[in-house]
Amino acid sequence: MSTPVIVAENLTKYYGARLAVDGVSFDVRPNEVMGLLGPNGSGKSTILRILTGYLHPTSGTARVAGCDVVSQSLEARSQLGYVPEDVPLYTNMRVLEFLEFMGRVRGVDNTRLPAAVDDAIERLSLGRVRTLMISKLSRGYRQRVAIAQALLGKPKLLILDEPTNGLDPRQIIEVRELIRVLSSELSILVTSHILAEMERVAHRVAILLDGKLLSVHSLGGANSAARFRIRLRGATQAAVQAALQATPDNEFVEALPNGSYIIACDAGPGLAVKALVAAGLYVEEVSSSGSGLEDLFLRLTEGVPQ
Amino acid sequence: MRAFLSLLGKEVRALFYSPIAYIVIGVFLALMGYSFTITLFNNKYATLVHIFFQSAGLLLLIVPVITMRLFAEERKAGTLELLLTAPVRESHVVLAKFIASMAVLGAMIGLTGVYALVLGIFGSPDWGAIYSGYLGLILLASTLVSIGLVISALTSNQVIAAIVTIGISFSMWMIDTLAAMAPDAVERVLISFSLLARFTPFATGAMYSSDFGFFLSTTLLALFLAMRALARR
Repeated sequence: MSTPVIVAENLTKYYGARLAVDGVSFDVRPNEVMGLLGPNGSGKSTILRILTGYLHPTSGTARVAGCDVVSQSLEARSQLGYVPEDVPLYTNMRVLEFLEFMGRVRGVDNTRLPAAVDDAIERLSLGRVRTLMISKLSRGYRQRVAIAQALLGKPKLLILDEPTNGLDPRQIIEVRELIRVLSSELSILVTSHILAEMERVAHRVAILLDGKLLSVHSLGGANSAARFRIRLRGATQAAVQAALQATPDNEFVEALPNGSYIIACDAGPGLAVKALVAAGLYVEEVSSSGSGLEDLFLRLTEGVPQ
Repeated sequence: MRAFLSLLGKEVRALFYSPIAYIVIGVFLALMGYSFTITLFNNKYATLVHIFFQSAGLLLLIVPVITMRLFAEERKAGTLELLLTAPVRESHVVLAKFIASMAVLGAMIGLTGVYALVLGIFGSPDWGAIYSGYLGLILLASTLVSIGLVISALTSNQVIAAIVTIGISFSMWMIDTLAAMAPDAVERVLISFSLLARFTPFATGAMYSSDFGFFLSTTLLALFLAMRALARR
């Protein structure tokens, strides 16, 4: 198995007496889109700031591409691109000027800089605005400029803090598509407080609440198979798994408490149902499940005051 | 080094593209020009001593105007987060801002060299005193800028940064006025920290290595503190 791009172990951060992040551990694998999901104030941005070297953890360690974010901060920072939540940019610069500046700061060689900047401009469709002042750009274009600067220097990891905040529906779809495309080249750590957003982009989601990591949940990411919730009468998990293993393209994902199972299947639920019936199991109900994330999130946060 | 030069270029552009630098330099030169002309016509002495003291007084007000925005503005706008999560050293960020500010102040002080030229053409000034006066102004400016940087690195409010910097600068300028009321041991300490006491020999043409060392070490200490303030996360 390839080395994780992020390894966070027992990260803890206090702001004065307030505990913002409480012993969080997780990893992010190469070419994986990992989501940090949680309500506002759950510690998502603080974790990102620790990983990017902007904040130091009170205790615990984090490594980015094998480099400790505190003791090897410069090396770790050179391996990542970061887009903070509020998309801070130098508004007194033109787009091209800003990208050239960030390219130099991020260590791109002078000889490679024009090509790297042109590539970023093309990928983010910034050609029309390349000579405009950043102060004149819309929120959507600013977001693109911020992502473009983060890609300079070919980082192994892209960190996006609430990347769809403040965008219109079309821009949200564009960002989602961009994440999907970029995930073939690098690892992406993205935060959101919107469940549906995470289900569409992430391969795995870490659910946070009050600074604690409640669970890490596997999803399919943007290229995932469709997921279905199938309720069976009196079937054991072992029997369901055995029935599904007998047929290709069906993947057992998760058992839910009420006798339901989440199953992933590209070709729709038909093959899975056929396999389950053939194994002598009684199928009561089939429905689309999304990723099961909503079920999980509600279960994990049940009874927790919001 | 490339990253540092890029940071320096950004800071210099930010200062010289904004109206602040030109307004500050314009007001400073207008006031000093008026003072130089009036004093020259009234006294007919080929000296710049009064210009040096008046410039030093104005620096106490001008430097905070320049330094207040350096970190406070970036912190408030969030660009400091963008900068410090890129692979750059805090020391490079601080030094770039320091050197860019000194470039503005250096240009401002350097333009008063016209007065020295006028004296040279129409009179016989003591050039040694003029050189030492300018050196004193540059050293004083560097100390004030580095103090301003520390304060700016500690807050995201530019007004607070400016007012606190002015307060500290004026306190250090005139702290020797308390000396007469203090016991002997304290008196010596207070005088040794006085910017006025350290600057006066330079302005009057007498350079001492202790004064030079004071300005230099205070500047380096303040720059170090600014780096620590930036690294404090």
